Amino acid sequence: MNEPDPRPWRRAALAPLALVAVLGVASFVRPGDSGGALLLANPDRSRVTELRVVLAALPDQPLVLVGLDPDLGTYAEIRTTVRAAFDDLRRRDARLAIVSFTPEGRAVAAAELDRLARTGFAQEALLDLGFIAGAEAGMVRAVTALVPVAAEGSLAGAVREAGGGMGAFDIVLVVGGGDLGPRTWVEQVGTRLPGLPIVAIAPTFAQPELAPYLRTGQLAALLATLRDGAAYASSVAAAAGPPNVPNESPERVPSALAMLIGMLLALVVLGRTLLASAWGGAGSAGPTETDGRHATRSPRAAAERAPSDEPVADGESAANGEPTGDGEPVEGPE
Amino acid sequence: MRRSLPAATVVVVGLLLLLDYVVINPTLAALADLLLELLVLLAAGAALAGGVALVLRHWTEMVGRRADPLGSVVLLVGFAAILIAGLYPGSSGSTDPAVRWLVAALLAPLIASLFAMLFFFLLGAARRGLALRRRESSLMLAAAGVVVVLLLPIGGVPGDWLATAASWTLAVPIGGVFRGLLIGVAVVTAVHATRVLLAVNGADE
Repeated sequence: MNEPDPRPWRRAALAPLALVAVLGVASFVRPGDSGGALLLANPDRSRVTELRVVLAALPDQPLVLVGLDPDLGTYAEIRTTVRAAFDDLRRRDARLAIVSFTPEGRAVAAAELDRLARTGFAQEALLDLGFIAGAEAGMVRAVTALVPVAAEGSLAGAVREAGGGMGAFDIVLVVGGGDLGPRTWVEQVGTRLPGLPIVAIAPTFAQPELAPYLRTGQLAALLATLRDGAAYASSVAAAAGPPNVPNESPERVPSALAMLIGMLLALVVLGRTLLASAWGGAGSAGPTETDGRHATRSPRAAAERAPSDEPVADGESAANGEPTGDGEPVEGPE
Repeated sequence: MRRSLPAATVVVVGLLLLLDYVVINPTLAALADLLLELLVLLAAGAALAGGVALVLRHWTEMVGRRADPLGSVVLLVGFAAILIAGLYPGSSGSTDPAVRWLVAALLAPLIASLFAMLFFFLLGAARRGLALRRRESSLMLAAAGVVVVLLLPIGGVPGDWLATAASWTLAVPIGGVFRGLLIGVAVVTAVHATRVLLAVNGADE
């Protein structure tokens, strides 16, 4: 039997630290270094084409309502796509009105409004509709009364002249991820204003939920995977050419090489854990605490530990959901 | 009476909003607007009450040195920082530069970092899962491995294959399971809503 490691935490801490170090290094790799063998963008451009066709069909200087309600945790995944959409709309001379129905969304909206102003978006083409409280009830009210009383400017006036509700807009761009995402917009706004096209950008986890709305036409276009987002950002960047705004670095598509390195490391760690489990050894896993006691990770480990360590009573072990001496894990109470 | 009053309120409000949805009538629309305004006010009041309750609870825990006093201090300091930045005299609220800085430089990176550590948390949970339920946890880890392989950002013909397979996986098996869950949840919600509207409970069956 092997001698127990006197300081098992060292081995347990080494792998995650190494992973963090490599991921940190990988995050500095620029997309230009990726080379032709790496490709983040989806080779299937159908989703991108759908969105660009919808945007191309808009009238001159379209009024675009942006429902910005992402989740701060997943916004990093779609930020590039959202900013590419803003760039795309700016090139089409769109006038943007941004509204949020969640506090998190409002925080992101404030930052994006600031960025849009810095990157040369005309102030008269931007309208901050702020945060509307009341979740779904607030959204339903906003269908007919969207512009705050204090809002001023030509854009606010134009929306008021057209009724002051969501019907004044040519299209809605919903940025999802939070509680009130594209699905809520389809349910609460799409049913009340069926002629108003809704396009959406959402993180990947929302794709299975939103895909049926795309198929039924309730969403006119949807970008809900990192690959589709990268493809869209690339197409917008290619159409725009080099940036002409001083003091502002262009929004970069995430580095494919950095992602590849991270994913390969994740695969190694996952595979090692799985193999360690399949071979019945402790493998790379350090001591695992369950309810304050050491939990065995495999039947063999349990068999090895039981005689030399504290004795494991069958009833007690089963009650805690740990593997018993006969090699079969027993489910404990929930 | 105590049980029937909330049920009656829900029924009346629900039916009014439903009628406003299907019938075009100015009086009905005005009534529905009023109800929606009340709902918005109620939600705002509930949020305010939640904030006050949170502060009171953590203040009590900090003063009494119970649970996690350090965590309570951090929470209260963060709460105060955002409130002061958004409410000081002359502040422009959520668009104030101080609030924007707090969100952009502190809150967003903190939440993104927590989200980025999800892999490590998942790995830790998977190891514990392997110790308890080897078969299910192995299946979950294997599925996670397959998904990672499908999403590898490589180009050329293999990349096309992977992208096609990833799209199919997302649209068919994952989409099917997800939609099944959603439909199930929707059916249960509809049944529950009907029971509330009809004021039916377990004792009536």
